[in-house]
Amino acid sequence: MSAAGELVELLLHHPLRLLGAAVPTLLAVLLVMFVNMPVSLTGGLVPAPALALACVYFWVLVRPDLMPPVVVLFIGLLEDLLSGGPPGLWAAGFVAALWLTDRQRETFAGLTGLGAVVGFAGAMLFAAAAAYGLDAIVYLRLPSLPPLLLESVSTVMFYPLIAMSMGWFHRHLVGPMRSGE
Amino acid sequence: MASLGWRLTRGRGAKQLSLILCGLSAVVIAFLGRADAALFDRVRAGLSDFAEPALSQLRGPLVTVEHSVDNAGSLFTTFQDNIALKKENAELRKWQNVALSLENKLHRYEILLNAAHDPALPSVTARVIGEASRPFIKSLVLNVGAEQQVKKGQAVVDERGLLGRIYVTGEKTSWVILLTDLNSRVPVVIEPYHRRAILTGDNTPAPQLELDVGDGPVKPGDRVVSTGDGGLLPPDLPIGTVMQEGSTLRVVLFARPGTSDFVSVKAYSLPEPPAATDPVPAATAAEEPKVPPATVTAGIAAHPAPPAMPLQSRNPDVPRFDGQDEEQDR
Repeated sequence: MSAAGELVELLLHHPLRLLGAAVPTLLAVLLVMFVNMPVSLTGGLVPAPALALACVYFWVLVRPDLMPPVVVLFIGLLEDLLSGGPPGLWAAGFVAALWLTDRQRETFAGLTGLGAVVGFAGAMLFAAAAAYGLDAIVYLRLPSLPPLLLESVSTVMFYPLIAMSMGWFHRHLVGPMRSGE
Repeated sequence: MASLGWRLTRGRGAKQLSLILCGLSAVVIAFLGRADAALFDRVRAGLSDFAEPALSQLRGPLVTVEHSVDNAGSLFTTFQDNIALKKENAELRKWQNVALSLENKLHRYEILLNAAHDPALPSVTARVIGEASRPFIKSLVLNVGAEQQVKKGQAVVDERGLLGRIYVTGEKTSWVILLTDLNSRVPVVIEPYHRRAILTGDNTPAPQLELDVGDGPVKPGDRVVSTGDGGLLPPDLPIGTVMQEGSTLRVVLFARPGTSDFVSVKAYSLPEPPAATDPVPAATAAEEPKVPPATVTAGIAAHPAPPAMPLQSRNPDVPRFDGQDEEQDR
């Protein structure tokens, strides 16, 4: 059966399972919109965290089949467009983080507690480095590092909260939806 | 039955291929974004136009929370702030008298010299409905766009000074690139020696000053204003004061994007040059003026020379100094 045929069959006979598959993407999109809301509680001193990357990282570890590369590219591009930044930079950063996490999945998935936060910090820094490098190549400049590091640090600080929230969605929403009607 | 969704990525090889393709796509998008920024700007403007009603509604309560957070820290320093403000107010009152006196003197000189006045700039007041402070961009989103005649490149000021320029315009919204942004480069003038420079954003709160042309020392505390050179920005918009950081000159900005709720978008353009092919009317060319016209002092390349006038102000707001107004006042 073709992919389109399977999709139609799922839509007709197992709509909840299809919805469950879309939940991680919807959550990541919501987080992109949330961090780009029209307010800065720090008066613009600290950049808004890239919460969507924490969401992507979590789902790539827990359910990689629900967070394919094309979706990660779309989420990164949405982050670029909504934040007003140059297009493609965070998209590349998100895909780079996906590549690293996918290659070292066993290692990252085995981390717990503070180790899990350190693991995400590695992925975050890898994504930031990819976005920074691409910006330097495309625009022939070296952007200031402190804002990028601040954004990375603030994102890592929010990771436990995002991981706990995503864990709740996984246990109470995605899991039951995907396991049956 | 086979499992659902994302079938293409199920195989390890397919996933690797998909990863490579997506990575390449991101790089291509980045280069496309530089080559044809308008393409993505249209998408961005469309997104902000679409979200404008929601952003406008969200802005109110969020700003209240934002201000509450800001004010929480200042609660403990209210007493000291009050004393400092009283001192500053007393100092400003002295400066106010000096400014009023100088303003009056300037008006007299303008009238005596028959100087051409700067034309009033048409402006649109806009509400800030979004702000982005990210590593690669520092911008604001306004609730005005092409419908309000807002155009790319126009200057955006708050009540203190220049904030930045419009760089994307949608139908109902527009995006402002702040002076602190990495991509911002604005020609400026440093007073009092009229030294020209380029103000270059580097994502820090105080953008760098790259001296361009002119002589004269530049020292910390000097005032920086915009210049009309190139028709990019209106001249004389206050920007900030010079600050020395090691060997680098920076500018402490007057404007505060983080606390600006309402801003003004200034429309400015150089006057159209006269058409070279316009024939000079024969009668005018033939007639020699019997009385030489009064001297007119005009701004450099910014305004067309006004017609010769007797000694009086062309601006109705400027009081006349031929005694008529004083008589009316009495």
